Amino acid sequence: MIAVARIREEVGGYPRFVKFLMVLIGVGVICALARFVFGLGALTNLNDTYPWGLWVAFDVVTSVPLAAGAFIVGAIVHCFNIKKLEPLVRPTIVTGFLGYSLVCVGLLLDLGQPQRAWHVFIYPNLRSPMLEVSMCIMSYTAVVFLEFLSPVCEKFGYRVPLRLLRHMQLPLVVLAAAIATLHQSSIGTFFLIAVDKLHNLWYTPVLPLLFWISAVFTGLSIVIVEAIMVHRHLGQPDETGLLATLARIIPWLLAIYLVLKVYSLIFLSQRPLFDRPVLTVLFLVEIGIGVIAPLIMFLQRRIRTDGRLQLRAAGLIVFGLALNRFNVSIFGMVQRNQHVYYPTVPESLVTIGIISADVFFFFLIARYFPIFEHHPEAADYRIPDRFRRITEYPVPEKTGRRV
Amino acid sequence: MRERKAFSLDRTFLIDLTRCTGCRGCQVACKEWNQMEAEKTAFFEGEGYQNPLAMSEHTLTRIKFRDYQKDGRNEFAFYKEMCMHCNQPACASVCPVGAFRKTPEGPVIYDAKRCIGCRFCMVACPFGVPKYQWSKTLPLVVKCTGCYSRVKAGLVPACAKACPSAIVYGNRRDMVDEAQRRLAAWPAKYINRIYGLGEAGGTSVLYLSELPFDELGFKNVTSRPLPSYTWAALRLVPGIFMGVGASLTFISWLTQRKDRLRNEEETRKAAPARPEEK
Repeated sequence: MIAVARIREEVGGYPRFVKFLMVLIGVGVICALARFVFGLGALTNLNDTYPWGLWVAFDVVTSVPLAAGAFIVGAIVHCFNIKKLEPLVRPTIVTGFLGYSLVCVGLLLDLGQPQRAWHVFIYPNLRSPMLEVSMCIMSYTAVVFLEFLSPVCEKFGYRVPLRLLRHMQLPLVVLAAAIATLHQSSIGTFFLIAVDKLHNLWYTPVLPLLFWISAVFTGLSIVIVEAIMVHRHLGQPDETGLLATLARIIPWLLAIYLVLKVYSLIFLSQRPLFDRPVLTVLFLVEIGIGVIAPLIMFLQRRIRTDGRLQLRAAGLIVFGLALNRFNVSIFGMVQRNQHVYYPTVPESLVTIGIISADVFFFFLIARYFPIFEHHPEAADYRIPDRFRRITEYPVPEKTGRRV
Repeated sequence: MRERKAFSLDRTFLIDLTRCTGCRGCQVACKEWNQMEAEKTAFFEGEGYQNPLAMSEHTLTRIKFRDYQKDGRNEFAFYKEMCMHCNQPACASVCPVGAFRKTPEGPVIYDAKRCIGCRFCMVACPFGVPKYQWSKTLPLVVKCTGCYSRVKAGLVPACAKACPSAIVYGNRRDMVDEAQRRLAAWPAKYINRIYGLGEAGGTSVLYLSELPFDELGFKNVTSRPLPSYTWAALRLVPGIFMGVGASLTFISWLTQRKDRLRNEEETRKAAPARPEEK
């Protein structure tokens, strides 16, 4: 009873916004349970014309690139050895881990037979992009989980696993980047089979490459958005200077993306391109607001180094990516004279619940685990070159103090 | 998926829509043989006489009606919708658990025991054939099996058996020959095209028609086998995995080495005046 009282007291101390998130999660869970009572057809607006709806378009196709920050920042910091960005790594890994865990939840809800999800292991069809993506998402979640274990071990002062994790760190970062590259692009491969369904504005043989590049710059933008939010609402230090470094990488990627997109439209796509006014508008908004505008913004030093403007430009990128993924997975698939799919209320509530859960669990982890205090300017992240000395390797100072 | 050089011996439907009378015996036979539930329908719910509105989890084949005018007289044209049993089926290539299989006899069949219900087959199928049990809590996909059990027993599929006039069933080679013979014998009667000959890389259902196919509701489908579109990207997967892994490992090694050399340099400077270094 004491434990219950303490939990109640603790939860009572959360900000009101977080309590609101808990309500949204509760509603989402109820709707998700209703899916297993009444069935997919009753709860959603999915039908034989639109077998994939909001749950695939947002919970999988959009969430995966939104959670991409972990592998990119990990690779930048540990492989390219830009150590000053280190303080951004842990929050990103937490976001990645949460994002992917919830992608798995969304995927299981959307499956008709979630209890058979393990069939992908015993009946694998190597020609299926879906197999590849599901394998990658599972292994990636596992890898990010291992990376996430570091702050957990620090919190509880488990020194041996911590040391082990430290030696695994670089291999894990490389593995995460390789797996993420595969599935970020393979989500684009999904839509290559819809050759006569997806509109020419989006159907292109280089769709997987476009998906990968956009995942990279969106992952970086999410890191910016997240760091600024955390600064504003969780009282963490202002990282604008570090974010400006990330912001210098983004315009290059946006430019490459734009060039590739235009090239594919001119040389690789089928005609006609601009025969459907609504789709044309969606396309122009996606490219104009989601790619060109942030490209111009991030090219200016003034915007790159200003926290508020950084947030705006990064926000535009995130918006553009979400619109792009919806265009590819839903809007671009609508044929002429076909009814238009829109999600039902419970269907949307599940997705809102999943987004809320993302923010809520981030809040919890940020509150109880050392994911921000980790500013190891002095920390030594070299690969230990003499494994015989593994026991002599110093435990990070931080942990020493915590224990 | 197994690549087969020729599909000429696959069992194939030749459906001559000019000979179809719209009796819907095939619809009834299909329901009976497959023990499919009846659907509650109303006349003129949809665009024409056809009933039910569309193929669904309960209806694997359906006759679509189209009325048009010819020489001032009202005429009917029909389209028997069903699974096309592609030579290289998109559904089989995208299914993560390999629930779909192109049988050596011709029909594309579905193994409900494997299905995890991801509905990728429905997105992939260019003809919109696989349907889903939306009414169920744990739904599966439903689709025409080409009456595989009957075919294996040496019978013809239920719809082909029931059809009094329009369907011929036999080897793909013979069916193509027969279709070409008819096109040559009555060039005025037919649109000069065999739908299914090249669609999606060739199918085990071939159609002849007197009206342009798109007017009847046939979809315009690429003639390249659909699995090849995804395979073009998917075959690069092992290379990309190794490539990204190897290059990142190499870059890390380089940057760590630079760090280590710099550290060693600094330690050397920090400890000056060692006699042998003078």
